[in-house]
Amino acid sequence: MIKLQDIKNRARELLANGEVRAVIGYRNGSRGMAAEPAVIADPNDAANIVWNPSCVHNLALYLVDDRKRLTRKQETPTKPIAIMAKGCDARAIVVLLQENYFKREDVYILGVSCETTGMLDEHKLEQLKIRPDQFTAVEFDGDDFVLIKDAETQQRFPAREIMADRCLECRNPFPKLNNAVFGEEKARNLAAPFSALMQFEQNATQNTRWDFWQHQFERCIRCSACRSVCPMCYCEECIVDSITYSVMPDTTAEEKANRIRWIERSATRANNIGYHLTRALHLAGRCIDCGECERVCPVRIPLRLLNTKLERDARERFGYEPGASVEVASFVSSFRDNDPGNFIR
Amino acid sequence: MNESQPTPYEPKIVAFLCKWCSSAGSDLAGVSRIQYPANATPITVMCSGSVSPQYILSAFYKGADGVLVSGCHIGDCHYLEGNYYARRKLFLVNEMLQFIGIEPERFRMSWVSAAEGTKFAKVVKDFVEDLRHLGPQDKLKAQRP
Repeated sequence: MIKLQDIKNRARELLANGEVRAVIGYRNGSRGMAAEPAVIADPNDAANIVWNPSCVHNLALYLVDDRKRLTRKQETPTKPIAIMAKGCDARAIVVLLQENYFKREDVYILGVSCETTGMLDEHKLEQLKIRPDQFTAVEFDGDDFVLIKDAETQQRFPAREIMADRCLECRNPFPKLNNAVFGEEKARNLAAPFSALMQFEQNATQNTRWDFWQHQFERCIRCSACRSVCPMCYCEECIVDSITYSVMPDTTAEEKANRIRWIERSATRANNIGYHLTRALHLAGRCIDCGECERVCPVRIPLRLLNTKLERDARERFGYEPGASVEVASFVSSFRDNDPGNFIR
Repeated sequence: MNESQPTPYEPKIVAFLCKWCSSAGSDLAGVSRIQYPANATPITVMCSGSVSPQYILSAFYKGADGVLVSGCHIGDCHYLEGNYYARRKLFLVNEMLQFIGIEPERFRMSWVSAAEGTKFAKVVKDFVEDLRHLGPQDKLKAQRP
């Protein structure tokens, strides 16, 4: 069991001693029990930090934001920035370090172990007719989540019933890469890794697969929420989004007009497929299954299926585990002599 | 023309051929006067490792019925290891296309050396044959209103 006070104390110390520029963490949001990401720079604000089952966000995204901001201002960080990282967040940081997005000494990882539970899934709560704003707080309690309205009214759920699928399937809820860690590495037995994917594959033939995905991709509105929330989607120029192509003062109208638009921005089925497949392939061996893309999708496309499919391929066919180590070469920039090649004639 | 026997569907193939082996191999098939279907549009690339998944999706988007990527045999890459990267990357593309329910016959990869004109002809011939059965590809193709 993690003592929240320990996290607060450590964050306050770090800020008061001037060891870090800021702490990226969670605080209570304006939507009932749901926590929100917060960048805390004042030691006194460290008391606002929370740690509860609604800390769903992958904060590694804000490290990327910070890095981009510094680059724009042409500043070199003098001190690291601290970040509260769950197991998945820490893996995301590992991937970013692997890709030299920032240096190890630029980030101070306050690891937080999910221990035997995980984060709750608002969609599952919704099925139980529960909205986050009906409650004021939510807490871990052993293997249960307790939703609290006030001192008298509480609702208790077994965590595995309202926990996010990605947390149920999580293999590494403990942040291995850390500067300080709260909570322990505990054995857990929730759901088999990739169970959502296996369930999908069991029920699908080639034809039903197409019917399924066609339906999903037709619904996509190309809001790019999945891209925005993804810590791995950090390219300034995005190949699937022509408005991000850089325009300099000397870029001529002709140059702009003649740029290759591999995928148009319009939300047609073919373009959407191109978008989602490209995104999945760009995340191959990089996606650490934080499940944020699926969580934020306004039309609820099961995007985790695409990403976990490639994650499983990387793992089973190539022996590559995303986010396991900073030292190894990244998945698509390396190869082995015995990579599968049966599909080649 | 006999109306009871409709003309077979002529599939369009986009073939990404590496400059050093497969492109030369296709040349050899030509100068050796090997007969093979003319359905493949060759696009010479510097290396099979330079074929981005984007090229393949884009070809399908623009109406290709099948996409062929062909490069040097493993170990023979002009750039020493380009085809190793291609193998890994395009394995994923192949898996992904099948995962969303695209017919596995639509994407093909082969190793064709500069000396294998006959092999190139066979690869294209087999590919065209498989695609004829499938008919037009409209899953990934841009829909025009």
